[in-house]
Amino acid sequence: MKSIKNITKTVALGVLLMSAGCQENFLDVVPTDRVSDASILSDSVLFEAYVINRYMGTRLTDKEAEGTPPGFGRGFEYAMWSSLTDESIYNNDDNTWLIQRGQIAPENTGIAGTLWGRSYRSIREINYALTNLDKVPMSADKRSKLKGEMQFIRAFRYHDLIRNYGKVVLPGDKVYQISDDLTSQELFDRADIKAGIDYAVAQLNEAAALLPESNDSNWKLGRATKGAALALKARLLLYAASPLYNAGTWQQAAQAAKAVMDLNKYSLYTGGYRNLFTTTTDNPEIIFGRLYAQGARHVCLEIANGPNSYNAWGGNVPVQNLVDDYEMLDGSKITDAGSSYNPADPYKNRDPRFYATILYNDAPYRNSTIQTYTPGGKDSKDGPSNWNTSKTGYYLKKFMNDALPIDNPWDIAGTQTWIYFRYAEILLNYAEAQNEAAGPDASVYTAINAVRQRTGVAMPVLPAGLTQAQMREKIRNERRIELAFEEHRYYDVRRWKIAGVTENKPAYGIEIGRNGTAYTYTKKEALTGRNFTDKQYWLPIPRAEIQASNNKLEQNPGY
Amino acid sequence: MAKDPGNGWDSSQLSIINQSCMNKIFHEQSVLHRPGHATCRKTFRYLFFAAFSLLVSTAGFAQSFTVKGTITAQDGETLPGASVIVKGSSTGTTTDVDGKYSLNISDPSATLVVTYIGYIAQEIAVANRSQIDVKLLVNDKTLDEIVVVGYGTQKKATLTGSVSEVKGSDIVKSPQPNLSNSLAGRFSGFVANNRGGEPGYDGSSYTIRGFASTGNSDVLIVVDGIPGQVGGLDRLDPNDIESVSILKDASAAVYGSRAANGVILVTTKRGTTGKPVISYSFNQGFSSPTRLPKLADAPTYATILNEIDYYNNPAGGMNQFYSAEEIEKFRNGSDPINYPNTNWQKETLKNFALQNQHNLGINGGTDNVKYYVSLGTIYQDGLYKNGATKYKQYNFRSNVDANVTKDFKVSLSLSGRQENRQFPVSSAGNTFRSIYRAYPTVVAKYPNGFYSTGVENSNPVVLGTDMGGTTSNPTSVFNGIVRASYNIPAIQGLSVDGFYSVDKSFNFSKTFSTPYKLYSYNKANDSYGSVVTGGSAGFASLSQKQINITNLTQNIRLSYERQIGKHNINTFVAYEQNKRNEATFEASRINYPTTSTPELSQGGAAATDKNNSGSSFNFTRKSYIGRLAYNFSEKYLAEVQARLDGSSVFPKGKQYGFFPSVSAGYRISEEDWFKNSVTFIDDLKIRASYGSLGNDNVGQFQYYNNYSFNNQYVTGANVITSGIDLTKLANPNITWETSKKMDIGLNAVVLKRFNVEVIYFNQKRSNILAARSASIPNTSGIVNPHKTDQSTPLVPDENLGKVNSSGFEATLGYNHSGKFRYSISGNVTYAKSKIVFIDEAPGVLDYQRQTGGALYRDLYYRSIGIFRTQADLDNYPHLQGAQFGDLILEDYNKDGKITADDQIRSDYGNVPLLTYGLVFNGGYKAFDASIVFSGQGMVSQYVLPESGQVGNFYSSWADNRYSPSNPEGTFPRADTRASSSINGGLYKNDFWLNNASFVRLKNIEVGYTLPKTALSKIKIASLRIYASAFNLFTITGVKDYDPEGNSNSGQFYPQQRILNLGVNIKF
Repeated sequence: MKSIKNITKTVALGVLLMSAGCQENFLDVVPTDRVSDASILSDSVLFEAYVINRYMGTRLTDKEAEGTPPGFGRGFEYAMWSSLTDESIYNNDDNTWLIQRGQIAPENTGIAGTLWGRSYRSIREINYALTNLDKVPMSADKRSKLKGEMQFIRAFRYHDLIRNYGKVVLPGDKVYQISDDLTSQELFDRADIKAGIDYAVAQLNEAAALLPESNDSNWKLGRATKGAALALKARLLLYAASPLYNAGTWQQAAQAAKAVMDLNKYSLYTGGYRNLFTTTTDNPEIIFGRLYAQGARHVCLEIANGPNSYNAWGGNVPVQNLVDDYEMLDGSKITDAGSSYNPADPYKNRDPRFYATILYNDAPYRNSTIQTYTPGGKDSKDGPSNWNTSKTGYYLKKFMNDALPIDNPWDIAGTQTWIYFRYAEILLNYAEAQNEAAGPDASVYTAINAVRQRTGVAMPVLPAGLTQAQMREKIRNERRIELAFEEHRYYDVRRWKIAGVTENKPAYGIEIGRNGTAYTYTKKEALTGRNFTDKQYWLPIPRAEIQASNNKLEQNPGY
Repeated sequence: MAKDPGNGWDSSQLSIINQSCMNKIFHEQSVLHRPGHATCRKTFRYLFFAAFSLLVSTAGFAQSFTVKGTITAQDGETLPGASVIVKGSSTGTTTDVDGKYSLNISDPSATLVVTYIGYIAQEIAVANRSQIDVKLLVNDKTLDEIVVVGYGTQKKATLTGSVSEVKGSDIVKSPQPNLSNSLAGRFSGFVANNRGGEPGYDGSSYTIRGFASTGNSDVLIVVDGIPGQVGGLDRLDPNDIESVSILKDASAAVYGSRAANGVILVTTKRGTTGKPVISYSFNQGFSSPTRLPKLADAPTYATILNEIDYYNNPAGGMNQFYSAEEIEKFRNGSDPINYPNTNWQKETLKNFALQNQHNLGINGGTDNVKYYVSLGTIYQDGLYKNGATKYKQYNFRSNVDANVTKDFKVSLSLSGRQENRQFPVSSAGNTFRSIYRAYPTVVAKYPNGFYSTGVENSNPVVLGTDMGGTTSNPTSVFNGIVRASYNIPAIQGLSVDGFYSVDKSFNFSKTFSTPYKLYSYNKANDSYGSVVTGGSAGFASLSQKQINITNLTQNIRLSYERQIGKHNINTFVAYEQNKRNEATFEASRINYPTTSTPELSQGGAAATDKNNSGSSFNFTRKSYIGRLAYNFSEKYLAEVQARLDGSSVFPKGKQYGFFPSVSAGYRISEEDWFKNSVTFIDDLKIRASYGSLGNDNVGQFQYYNNYSFNNQYVTGANVITSGIDLTKLANPNITWETSKKMDIGLNAVVLKRFNVEVIYFNQKRSNILAARSASIPNTSGIVNPHKTDQSTPLVPDENLGKVNSSGFEATLGYNHSGKFRYSISGNVTYAKSKIVFIDEAPGVLDYQRQTGGALYRDLYYRSIGIFRTQADLDNYPHLQGAQFGDLILEDYNKDGKITADDQIRSDYGNVPLLTYGLVFNGGYKAFDASIVFSGQGMVSQYVLPESGQVGNFYSSWADNRYSPSNPEGTFPRADTRASSSINGGLYKNDFWLNNASFVRLKNIEVGYTLPKTALSKIKIASLRIYASAFNLFTITGVKDYDPEGNSNSGQFYPQQRILNLGVNIKF
């Protein structure tokens, strides 16, 4: 009997213990791995951390943003934006050829399908922070800087939208919630291009007034400055004045570029054209760029683009079309009558920027020389891993940092700065706008010649007495050469409305035969079927987006 | 008889001694808490002498007495192989071919026990008779069987829900060690596919009655009463399993919170009263892939490369890549370094890999203490030559039940498992990807021993080995359950019981990646170039990760079970709570100066060489459970269940969900009028159930905006700055997903030998938790990120999905007793879903909508042929750039253009609507056989191989491709990259969609039990040897890969065919 009593006691105790476990707040679990609105809006450190990440966007597709999230535009990816133009082709296709071939469609946007969604997501995130900025305790100075920074980022997103899609939806400061009516017409009304440009420019005017002039220890490199806002404004206005946009004046564009020049803060880099792209700090030419580091890298460029015998993958390979547009060292075009160009020795005496941008047969590279000739050339199809052999006979050299490894670079490489704005662009923007607005006056010559004569390039100055049209051609070619692979060509040929010519040319490469020590050069088609029709002046809005709008969102013409 | 008493002991006598000693130990340690060694030793010594004297006495004075007889079935058929044993001894024999036996016994007053499989055992007192003939009655005990259900057991006869059960004794007949693979085909309603065979990750994915939700479809696993026990189902030792029950209908509502996708109840073995039985089994298996695709050889591939160049530049002709002479060199093997013909599968994979399993179990007990203790090991080798892939498991289980008093019982269940996985640094997916991509025109290994660069510095021959380092991934799982129950003496039938369960798992992984060199031969200067791969930038790197999981479950229950006249009442109320904590810690380091120090603190010294991260979370649940089961005379059956569940995943005010169910049954065969008029039907029951079940298996904290640190933006030189991203928008209204299940069934036993079950079921799933995507325009800024393993949608889960599903199950079984005894049972399940609401874009085309159709049907272009002539190109709308050899895609909407509007939904997805199985068990004399066929239909799988300049082709494609020289080819022309070809990934079409139906011999086992007479001399109670196989053969229309796979590229570790030999010994 005694033991029974004990047992009853034990059971009772057990029950008690159990019920002690069922506390009232047992289900109220506090997360330790995330932050709430309340924290963000009450702690200026967290708030600023949120703002800083807005320089990055959301990854929206496979094979995008290897390493860290994407920034603005495309930047350093396996297939670069240049491979949608007559600068290069992407050797491994990766959904670039369909754009080169004009097969792009709303349901098939290739690598060009993510700018729409990524930009609008960022705009909403900025809107949220801008709307709540005043609630966050911080100094007035910090508040105004952050405001300017966010306005700059938002304007940059519109820049991405406008130059790709033309007419865009302008939600202003609105922060949509999932509980909102997402079928509302305001989400689908596309403002005309001018309204888009005006909005972005107005934002940039405000941003320029709020942002600091320089980066320093409190406003580190990588964050926007006044110069960045003005540079973006200059580019937007240059685009706006261009024939495709027809939404502004060349004079405005020239003034905007001049405003950057007048800051007297930026100058052309004097360490050589090649080093310009591997020098992140103390580089007076960079107005604004995206910095990378070990642990926060982009695509490892050297293995992605290098030649096959170097165990690299020959990714974005320059086409002959670009090679042919490099001038001779004496300033003549290879097609000019009496040009010093020798078709039997085509790489001799070219614009120095050619040697810094393109790896060609016999070019020195990493303790060896490039061999794209056949038979037997190690970087031709006769070499090792020949599936990585360039289809054009050239490899990309620009941006490559020889100090970084090609073999197994994964934790080391991918640290170059992607330059969004540099001073040479501003000078060329000015030259172009001023030439269109006022003709080839002295300031136009000064601007373009500064670029041509930059340290390490030293191309001859342009001859005096060019007509406006001749100058236009010179400026256009100068942009093609100076800004190659920097995401300009795609937009330039469109805004100038010359894509119908340039993008309908086949993508050429070179076939080099070797007989003893003599080479023969035969132009060949490297990618068949290049095709451009007028619809491609703008990207198609993705089919999913049109369907999400229940067809209320107007598609770009031709798709 | 026995000169040396130590050796002469009968094993059973020895066991008795051990047992009583053991009982003593249990008793003393668990209850009296006194050291019991001395007492035990004393007892042992006493018994030792007692037994010895007994032996001597029996040896001296036993008189031989012979009993003879014939064992027959009811119908007079003789039963060979029946066992006749003297009760309480190991003396016994088996009947001969004519059913006759002859047995010498010492005690004429002994009792004989006669047993035969499929018949009811009989005990007959010898009573000095020398001739005893026995007639055995067929055992149609199926109705008396007890079935495990949620929070209890039920008699199969009075079951009102849809519950299928398989016994552990059947499961062990499958030679593969992953429990989830042993269930396919065995019963209706269970849809399983074995997606791959990598040791350590070779389990099946399964659903109960197919997909019924757009959201999570995980089945709840309950092991020994613990819902969601850590460690799960897959790795339980099949030898430890008593039974596996599957709750398919509303009977699962008693697990309300997580039961919407069905529940699998696993019950482990417990001790039974009697002398200890020691059983040991050993299995030696030989595993090989069920199938691997045959790939193009070098001359074929070289020709294809030429064709690809031709298509890209027709002006260049047909030999732009390789000359005809070079192709001939590939063919004739005259220059094996520069023009090899490599079969990468052969180079990389062994013909078969070894695996083995040991299991040792001891089972026994007295009326007061019963125990089941087991130890097991599993070893599986991977398929790679010199491979690093290994799986090794050690597990133990100890289930002890004790009656402290007549009314107070306690039990302790402890189990532990060590799962040691080891892999090469390259994942299996990557290694097989490399095997299928690697060019046959590239040598695997040069004659000087150098490994080639393979495909893009991935040489599959090396990838499977430890050359690039290894990942070791030991996981420890511990489960402990203490239970107590007390029958309250004051009220008959009233009892209180409870349990406290602790689960722990420690998952550690360590990847040490080391650099190694691959070579490529440069024939121009007869030299080898090398490339360092593996590790990072020429140095070794290390990453380590630890995931600890703690899962605590407490339950207390008040039950009442009583028969009052013809009224049977069984009811309980219970409270249960559960808390799960998961903590992750990761660290990594690069730039190891040497590969001989694979430890975290021995790596590079720079700050940028080090990285770490960590996180943790808690998840809690609270439940109130009740059930009332009533039957009148086992004729009219009714049951009501309910569960009130609270879950921390939902916000305050939305945390609780109520999940009730009702079921009823009517056993017509228990009516007197039925018994009298319908004699050929022995049992007939109709039953129905209806209930509401829940699902809360979604991400936590979705009721407010979530922000997380994502430090990826760089400011200043090389400084990664703290950054925060918005990762989840708030849904303050998030709450339970509910499933309303209805089930109508009929069970019958006809002519004592046929079992029939037919079930109709339907399910209405609503409030399905899903994140919107397609209907939200990007311009709102609410944009979900690209789906990866790490990312979740920005949009929170909302209770918006609605899916109806319905179908039927049927099972027909037949039992035959006699000399050749067997049972055969076939089952079929058809389950089809219909989407009532799923998030879709408002502008989606009607015929492309998912709404209204079955789940998981994808959009495809329809391929209707191949362009072979200019006339074809003229006649059919085609894509810009289409050429001969391209697939003709159907202009479905007849608008003259091929656009996305021409895609239509496939008929089926890759989870079958139709599954079926056939189970055979039979025996003849000492032989026994067990066979399980499993099959599926109404299912399709899309596989587009990664072919082109990027990788090799399946022979089925290469040999039948369209080409200028084979204009009648049945496959499209080769293209640079299948994934971005208009014949492949760019216009995803049904040419690559295969009918993945199959019938496969899932398991077969043939065994032979050695005659007892031969064994008694070596003191073995029984010994059975057997041969078995898993996935022995398959009938399917799929050519290149196993039809159970689900990889869209076909690049996965193949499913295993296992041939196995085994032995089972009982002492």
